[in-house]
Amino acid sequence: MTGIDHSASGVTPALHGNVPKARASGLRRVWRWRGYYLMLLPGLLYFVVFHYLPIWQAKLAFQDYRIIGPSVWVGLKHFRALLDSPVFTQVLWNTVLISAMKLVLLFPVPVIVALLVNEVQGSRYRRFVQSVIYLPHFLSWIVIAGVFIAVLSPVDGTVNDLLGLAGFAPVPFMTSEGSILWVLVFSEMWRSAGWDSLLFLAAVMAIDPQLYDAATIDGAGRWRKIWNVTLPALVPTMATVFILNLGAFMSAGFDQVFNFSNDAIRDRIDILDTYVYRMGLVGGEYAYATAAGVFKAVIGMGMILAAHVVSKRLTGKGVW
Amino acid sequence: MAASQIRKTPFERTEYAIICSALLLMVVVTVQPILNLLAVSLSDSAQVPGMSGLAVVPHGFSLDVWRVLLTHPQVLKGLANSLLITVAGTAINVVATTLMAWALSREGLPGRRAILVFILVTVVFEPGVVPDYLVMKQLGLLNSYWSVILYRGVFAWYLIVLIRFFEEIPKELLEAAEMEGASPLQTLWYVVAPLALPAIATITLFYTVLHWNEYFRAMIYLNDPQMWPLQVVLRQFVVEGDKSLMVGLDAMNKYTGGSQIDLRALKAGMIILTLIPVLAIYPLILKFFTKGTMSGAVKG
Repeated sequence: MTGIDHSASGVTPALHGNVPKARASGLRRVWRWRGYYLMLLPGLLYFVVFHYLPIWQAKLAFQDYRIIGPSVWVGLKHFRALLDSPVFTQVLWNTVLISAMKLVLLFPVPVIVALLVNEVQGSRYRRFVQSVIYLPHFLSWIVIAGVFIAVLSPVDGTVNDLLGLAGFAPVPFMTSEGSILWVLVFSEMWRSAGWDSLLFLAAVMAIDPQLYDAATIDGAGRWRKIWNVTLPALVPTMATVFILNLGAFMSAGFDQVFNFSNDAIRDRIDILDTYVYRMGLVGGEYAYATAAGVFKAVIGMGMILAAHVVSKRLTGKGVW
Repeated sequence: MAASQIRKTPFERTEYAIICSALLLMVVVTVQPILNLLAVSLSDSAQVPGMSGLAVVPHGFSLDVWRVLLTHPQVLKGLANSLLITVAGTAINVVATTLMAWALSREGLPGRRAILVFILVTVVFEPGVVPDYLVMKQLGLLNSYWSVILYRGVFAWYLIVLIRFFEEIPKELLEAAEMEGASPLQTLWYVVAPLALPAIATITLFYTVLHWNEYFRAMIYLNDPQMWPLQVVLRQFVVEGDKSLMVGLDAMNKYTGGSQIDLRALKAGMIILTLIPVLAIYPLILKFFTKGTMSGAVKG
């Protein structure tokens, strides 16, 4: 970093006339970088059109939508309607519940997987395990839903066939309210346990081997080494992953829920994003659904910023 | 690497066996369902009903399902649409992301910080799918492939990864290129890109997977089933259980001599077909992205 001055002139170069001397040299500096600005152009255009126009469009949350003529401002009407709606309350609760279950139950899993993989000595077996367990991360949730519909089928699904061998009656996992939340948690684990462990594995492998050698000399066994050397070294990675998870908390995994949904259990796993889709794009209640989306975005943003501040204070490292 | 290569006690040996078995269990749980679907899709249609979910070998052998799938107009159309969206989308992604990352990796660029904040805002605040849809509509891009291709022109996370990577490149190399009068684009092309090739390859592969797996935007932006990518066709058929889209009676009769193809086998085949392209580029992903952790460097 060599004395950067991010002067405002970088963003507003179009000033002419009797420019003060400092400003003029700023402009000349911008001109010197013109090749780079040109390269930024396609990307910036993309962010303006496909991200900032929608953000501007989100003002609809405070309006009534009119097909012809300008929309009318209605203030917080839609937000009041949202909070008065028992369906929305249920949807909000579902979102929090699904996210919290995944966060709490699945957080330790990739850490454990990374520790297990790291213990494997034969590099052939290790490579084999790794190349299998990372795969599900790259499958679409539609494919995964297809796989789980087949695996959990009460007629000829793998799980019920196993239950049958053990003498149990078949359970319609995908269509019963009692099990669908667990199906969501487990399928999320099926998809991400391997891939998410990669980050932790990299952190484990970055640990100085001398620490282990010292622990061995001190007579520490496998578990003591994991507890006293490995886990402490993973704390910063855990913090980062936790914050990222928190950032996605209000989403609760739209693609997953959307594709695991069916008429029997829809109310049980209806979350904010599926609600916005149904009210807005299926039902045509554009303004109301936009309000729900903005509600979600504001809370999500609050959570990310809070996590960022907390993390910065605790570890000196933020999200960015 | 040295310390515990010899496992002395039986206890330690048992411990190690348990660790390896736990991972093996994970491998089986990951692969078995996929192998089962493959087996079902390759089984003789008469033997599919009642076939156990535990089976990983076809019962009998028949390619009927695959013959129907690979000649079915809706499937072929879906494949072609997916291919078009994936190739065009990825090409645009890689060019736009690389150019942008290169410019933003230059610390001296005036306004760099402001632009980074400008991009981060879009990560932190996403007002949802309805405003996206309305903007697409106002732009007149509904029912055009461009909507699905462009909606994710630059993915902020990959951009940040690439910026980080470009920043690692030694400044002396860049200065040397500039001394010789190379333009920013020439420096990128001749100096930066070759050095950052693994990173660029990685984001290319990731963008490819993103596009191939995309379904939701296609669902909401494209009304015409003729424009749907394969994922949406699969969703309609397997998740929504809409048979009418897939099972034209004539297709059923033509290839099986009038006998019914089992619907379960057809669904299984469709799922496998949709994941094959991902499977095809997966080795490359392993090669570029996980190289470090898969080198087999072992510590005791």
